[in-house]
Amino acid sequence: MLVRDGRIVADPWTLVEDGPARPGVIAPFDAWKRSPQGAGVWVDGDRDVEELVPEILEAPVVAVRFPAYADGRGLTFGALLRGRYGFRGELRAWGDVLADLTEYMHRCGFNAYQLPDRRQAEVAIACMARMSDHYQASATEPLPAFRREAFAT
Amino acid sequence: MYQYSAFDRRFVEERVEQYRDQTRRFLNGDISDDAFQQLRLRNGLYIQRLAPMLRIAVPYGILSATQLRAIAAITRDYDRGYGHLSTRQNMQINWPELTDVPDILARLAEVEMHCIQTSGSCIRNVTTDQFAGVAGDEIVDARPYCEIIRQWSTYHPEFDWLPRKFKIAVNGAESDRAATHVHDIGIRVRRGDDGAPLFDFLVGGGLGRTPVIGSLIRQGLPEKHLLSYLEAILRVYNRYGRRDNKYKARIKILVRAMTPETFRERVDAEWAHLKDGPSTLPDAEVSRIRACFAPPEYDDLVDEPALLARQRLQNPAFNTWMRHNVAPHKRSGYAIVTLSTKVTGVPPGDVTDEQMDAVADWSERFGFGEVRISHEQNLVLPDVAQRDLRTLFDLASAAMLGQANAGLLTDMICCPGGDYCALANAKSIPVAEAIQRRFDDYDYLHDLGPLDINISGCMNACGHHHVGHIGILGVDKRGEEFYQISVGGNQAEDASLGQILGPSFGRADVPGVIEKILDVYLERRFEGEPFLHTARRIGIEPFKERVYPATDGRPGSRPKVAAQVPTQDAERRPRSARAG
Repeated sequence: MLVRDGRIVADPWTLVEDGPARPGVIAPFDAWKRSPQGAGVWVDGDRDVEELVPEILEAPVVAVRFPAYADGRGLTFGALLRGRYGFRGELRAWGDVLADLTEYMHRCGFNAYQLPDRRQAEVAIACMARMSDHYQASATEPLPAFRREAFAT
Repeated sequence: MYQYSAFDRRFVEERVEQYRDQTRRFLNGDISDDAFQQLRLRNGLYIQRLAPMLRIAVPYGILSATQLRAIAAITRDYDRGYGHLSTRQNMQINWPELTDVPDILARLAEVEMHCIQTSGSCIRNVTTDQFAGVAGDEIVDARPYCEIIRQWSTYHPEFDWLPRKFKIAVNGAESDRAATHVHDIGIRVRRGDDGAPLFDFLVGGGLGRTPVIGSLIRQGLPEKHLLSYLEAILRVYNRYGRRDNKYKARIKILVRAMTPETFRERVDAEWAHLKDGPSTLPDAEVSRIRACFAPPEYDDLVDEPALLARQRLQNPAFNTWMRHNVAPHKRSGYAIVTLSTKVTGVPPGDVTDEQMDAVADWSERFGFGEVRISHEQNLVLPDVAQRDLRTLFDLASAAMLGQANAGLLTDMICCPGGDYCALANAKSIPVAEAIQRRFDDYDYLHDLGPLDINISGCMNACGHHHVGHIGILGVDKRGEEFYQISVGGNQAEDASLGQILGPSFGRADVPGVIEKILDVYLERRFEGEPFLHTARRIGIEPFKERVYPATDGRPGSRPKVAAQVPTQDAERRPRSARAG
């Protein structure tokens, strides 16, 4: 079940773990690189972003695989791709995605999440809205709290 | 001390409600056991051998009288009327019900406290010198930087799901009372030629099963870069730290695998992107935080040498307490008092609700309502007028908090061990008690002088055994509890790791072995020479020879002989009274 930009939506893409890239398909990086037209790309969260740019910035969707929900490498991948390299397309989390952790992903630049079912998708949407503010700068907040007016009041 | 802003207050309240919702969903079966484990750990809740354990964050070991009373009340209402001071300056309670935890967190939030990130693979409670802000040998007050790091590390979007737990310590005094050499990051603050604070970074130190002294990777970093440089270190660690084996996942393993030089290059390359970015600290923010730690309204007092000399002469117990438990204060006429929790028969670091209430009262009567927790698991009153010391000593003695043993043999660091902890290989509290019983002669203890005995029930090293002058580690041998003993460790500015003497001993033999080690010291020391110096000077061999006497004169055969002797001993002798 896909949550994108805070809503449950029908997934227009088909993610294939293996196989060639073609329009409408999210394919592994090497396959996508061979025929990127109309295709999305997925990568493991432990990949070095530096090795994938600039090509990957052209993809309409980059899906980052979380091999285990507690593996935070995908968070850094997202933060770098979105923040440092300015990726503008859909940044999606897939694999072992825990609803409660989508908030961290959101703050690291993700805007789409593949959840196991509708219930978890609804929980994820609620989780992302639970904390109203944070101390640090992030993809959702350009300045840390201490640089914002009204913080110290 | 730091007062919550409206932002802090709302943040902690929302975090409580978030956890309440997580608990509810877990109890409904909506969150798996495995997933809930990680969620509850990030709110300090462990499921232990006997019951849940909730670790309350005491940021850099400072709490107010109001907060201490609130914890006392929580232990009465939800627990068994006592708490445990941890070696990371936190407070643990051992018997809360899982379903009560959201309410406990709400009670804590009312007094500006929480349990956020006191466990789990994330940045833990930042620690510092328990005398920060009042120490006579202070160069820079570390507390504002600790608070800045606390806020930065709280619910960080990128660094809350690290390969492993991550501990940061900051020290700003001549003496290193924060053990910066054995932290994932140890930060030492000093002053540059212009008086501005500068930061030195030690990275990759740690205890656990692979003890390492941290590597110095950056010297003289200006204040405004503190957070961006921390981000660079954490980012390199989050990306490249091992996740395939939790015993090799700490940053020390990464630093060693990369070499400190390469690690520093990686951090510098990352920092080149982050430097002067949004995390750069404006002067105004540092000033805002520093203002929270402005000195209290001290009276203009003078030192009281004559009064104290008279009182010390009148009462020998007060005299020894003054010698060991009272430290010099920045301000004339004041002193810093360590209230020792180390009394024979009580697990080190345990304090009852009544003791907490009493200490809260004393902190108001003899200070400005502030209490510290030391990583040696004692309580500290930071601002006691010298003329009040005698009165405080009498009150503390009556409340079993007046032991004159701070820094001495019986002031042991000890983890909860096999009595409470699911990870432990062996019990540690009964070992501490057996040693305290064996060495209960104050004259002997004071003659021995400063001596750190640190006890861990397993190689995770919560009792910091590697840096004890004498370290004791519980090990499991075919289902039996044994204890490995090391000599020569040290947690201070000239940190070192202890060397293991040899094969391990049964529990009943440990006090006897300690006595043999101390005999060697007493025979070999120069006048006035502390244990650690003697141990460093003479090396480990004389201790080995005493503890494992060679039976056939061939040194090479010693370990084999020794390995059998303690085992037989352990079977023959009864176990210590408490453990039995």
